Amino acid sequence: MMKFAPYFAYAKKCFLGRSAYRFDHLMNIMSTCLQIFIFWGIYRALYGGNTEVDGITLPMVATNFVLSMGLGAVFSVNDYFFPDKIHDGSIATELLRPISVPGRMIAENAGNALFNLIFRFAPALILVVLTIGISAPAGLGMFTVFLLSAMLGYGVLWVISFTVQMAAFWFVNVWSITTIKNVFVNVLSGSMIPLWFMPEWMVGVLRFTPFSSIYFTPVQIYLGQLTWQEAGLKCAVQAVWILLIYLAGDFLWKKGQKKLVVQGG
Amino acid sequence: MSFIEVKSVSKTFRINKRKSGVTGMLANLFVPKYEKKEAVKDLDFVIGQGEMVGFIGPNGAGKSTTIKMLSGILFPESGEIRVGGFIPYKQRKAYVGSIGVVFGQKSQLQWDLPVIDSFELLKAIYRVPDETYRKNLSRYTEMLDMGGFLNQPVRQLSLGQRMRADIVAALLHSPKIVFFDEPTIGVDVVGKETIRNFIRELNSQDNVTMLFTTHDMQDIEKTCDRLIIIDKGSKVYDGTLPGIRERYGTTRQLDVEFSGPQEVAPIRHVEIVDLDNNKKRFIFESHEVHINELMNLLLNRYSIRDMNISEPEIESIIRKIYSGEVF
Amino acid sequence: MRDVIHLAGVYTKITAKSWFQYRVDAVLRSLAVFLRESTGVIVIYFTLLKFDDLNGWNTHELLFLYSLLFLTYGIMIIFFTGLRDFGNTVRSGNFDRFILRPRGLLFQLIFANADWFAAVGHGGLGLVLFLVSAGKVGVTWNLETAVYYLVAVAGGVLIQGAVFLFLATLNIYLFETRSLKELLYYNMRKFAGYPISIFHKAVQFIIIYIMPFAFVNYFPAQYLLRKEDMAGYPQAFLYLTPVVGIGMYLLAYLFWRYSVRYYKSSGN
Repeated sequence: MMKFAPYFAYAKKCFLGRSAYRFDHLMNIMSTCLQIFIFWGIYRALYGGNTEVDGITLPMVATNFVLSMGLGAVFSVNDYFFPDKIHDGSIATELLRPISVPGRMIAENAGNALFNLIFRFAPALILVVLTIGISAPAGLGMFTVFLLSAMLGYGVLWVISFTVQMAAFWFVNVWSITTIKNVFVNVLSGSMIPLWFMPEWMVGVLRFTPFSSIYFTPVQIYLGQLTWQEAGLKCAVQAVWILLIYLAGDFLWKKGQKKLVVQGG
Repeated sequence: MSFIEVKSVSKTFRINKRKSGVTGMLANLFVPKYEKKEAVKDLDFVIGQGEMVGFIGPNGAGKSTTIKMLSGILFPESGEIRVGGFIPYKQRKAYVGSIGVVFGQKSQLQWDLPVIDSFELLKAIYRVPDETYRKNLSRYTEMLDMGGFLNQPVRQLSLGQRMRADIVAALLHSPKIVFFDEPTIGVDVVGKETIRNFIRELNSQDNVTMLFTTHDMQDIEKTCDRLIIIDKGSKVYDGTLPGIRERYGTTRQLDVEFSGPQEVAPIRHVEIVDLDNNKKRFIFESHEVHINELMNLLLNRYSIRDMNISEPEIESIIRKIYSGEVF
Repeated sequence: MRDVIHLAGVYTKITAKSWFQYRVDAVLRSLAVFLRESTGVIVIYFTLLKFDDLNGWNTHELLFLYSLLFLTYGIMIIFFTGLRDFGNTVRSGNFDRFILRPRGLLFQLIFANADWFAAVGHGGLGLVLFLVSAGKVGVTWNLETAVYYLVAVAGGVLIQGAVFLFLATLNIYLFETRSLKELLYYNMRKFAGYPISIFHKAVQFIIIYIMPFAFVNYFPAQYLLRKEDMAGYPQAFLYLTPVVGIGMYLLAYLFWRYSVRYYKSSGN
């Protein structure tokens, strides 16, 4: 257990440090709510009185937005954890400490995520439920699977960020690459267009990418759109994505360290 | 002639007081507490043209706040500041063209570009005439031995090189006053010496007025004639460096080596400390114990091989002033 | 004046040189901005593949509405990147340095940070959208509509510039304002990408009177397109864009002038 003590300390520091910016925090809750309202407004207008389109009801659409944006608010990944340290050179000192640097990043992100869950997602959820109404989860069992799948979704988002950050070892400034990555995540994960409404060919392409694993899989499980077997299979797919992308990221991380050693920081 | 004039200046900051732990965080999230901190209170001093003054004090004493007010970054809350006929915070644009500021902790150079590019930018910003620019650049780069790295990106420079480049950057427009805020921090011994020599030369040759903050007493001993010490926002000493020893350095120590192991009977007003190898140290105040009497007493009573008397180091006096022992 | 242009030139040279230290990033920079800002467009495109129209607006009309938003932003951000990032400048203590230099503070903030690459990305998107949609939305382009369009773009630039200046000024009082900007500006802009008539009355109120994006694109687009949902608003709104722009900018500028003296340099 002692092995995890420093990571726990990092997580706690991040969690507690967040209370400093109260005003900012309040704004963030409202921001999340507003985004949900925007998409809800758009889809209400698009439905124009129809109760369902292609078997998808308006509350289901609302649920998709609330869950994916809500989870988006919780899933805090610091895209510049490594690039910042590489740019200012502090990565060298980080490597000398007897702890894993990616481990520290996980710890800090997890501390933030916990803070977000309690102080961002919860208030936003309450506000949204009171105003626009979303679907209830498909039973307690499925809800448990949803929670598992949501965690795996965070895992997918995290390993994607981790792997992309490794580009900093070669390019140092990675703002552009990070921004492009985030465009893919936003558009293809279903957080801005429910993937039900994507054209067929797009859905076909998406099957071969990790993006739908981030938010859309948990949403489908929450809504009960998947059978138990399907849900289990999708979770397994999430896990496989995490593993594959992590291996790629870890490969780059090792190569990057070597490069750092060769150049002497 | 007073060139820099600071008259009963005060500045207070409001600080969010955070408690630790989870309950502290919750408290801070919902009912934040603020505390007033007087960074500078009722500060007075006058500096003449061409003077070189060391400005020291412990961390949080208000040095940086004072420098920031003098350079026009901060408005004083009350009191008056005049520098070279200007009111810094009111006549900013006209004033700052005549000063140079070096923040040792904060470079003003373009991180990704060669040093010379930053200099060219500063030339344009300060409207430095070509002639002056060329003259200053060649003179300062030679004095600071910078020719080798003018074309290197700043991010590849050592701390000492970067600091020298930063000093030149602050001087290209030939300022009449220069504020140095810890210009030797993190620089190695040789680099420090170069910087000190440069500063001294600049002061004596160009009659530039300088205010100098540092934590390194050697900086002060080797460059400044005058010293202002502040603590908790107020001035506690203003005078020459030797003056400080006269006023506060009344402690003396006498190190004695005896011929063999020796027990010493207590002496009034003298603290006796055991050192190694038959040596003992006698510490006393020069106004309480007369040095001749103490030495006679020891010579009469014991068999002594060697004696050595010393005055305290400036550094230890200053440390005592900071910790409040002297006042 | 020549001196000012010279300095602006030196600043631009320095900025460009800094970026090209990291070639890959510099090349990708415009592309990244272009793609990021296209997100909203891609969303509209895919959504309208499924649904035919949004409250009477077809895809081209929606893209035209969108193009106004980005063209104005693209022009504004060339100059106002320094104000967008002013929070960082204050937090890192770099604003101290600006104060120590004998030039106008706004001038320095603008030219030390002018972000031409990002501006090409933003403005490029606006331009592409305009070129794609302008011929297909039934507007007859003549002197009158062209002048109206240009004035509206200028007004839109001023409105957004005023908001950036206002939000930048708030950094003098508040340590962290990123989320406020996120809420007031970026989120509201997401609303403004759509015909505001589809939203709740409260949202419409905000977007007309508080964060008046409606005058950046909705009302100017309505002047040219005359869609049915304009019936819900006073006709006068079609002509107010330049007035709102100038008024807001003046107020923001006065607020800035007033606030600079309260700047608290961040501690050590």
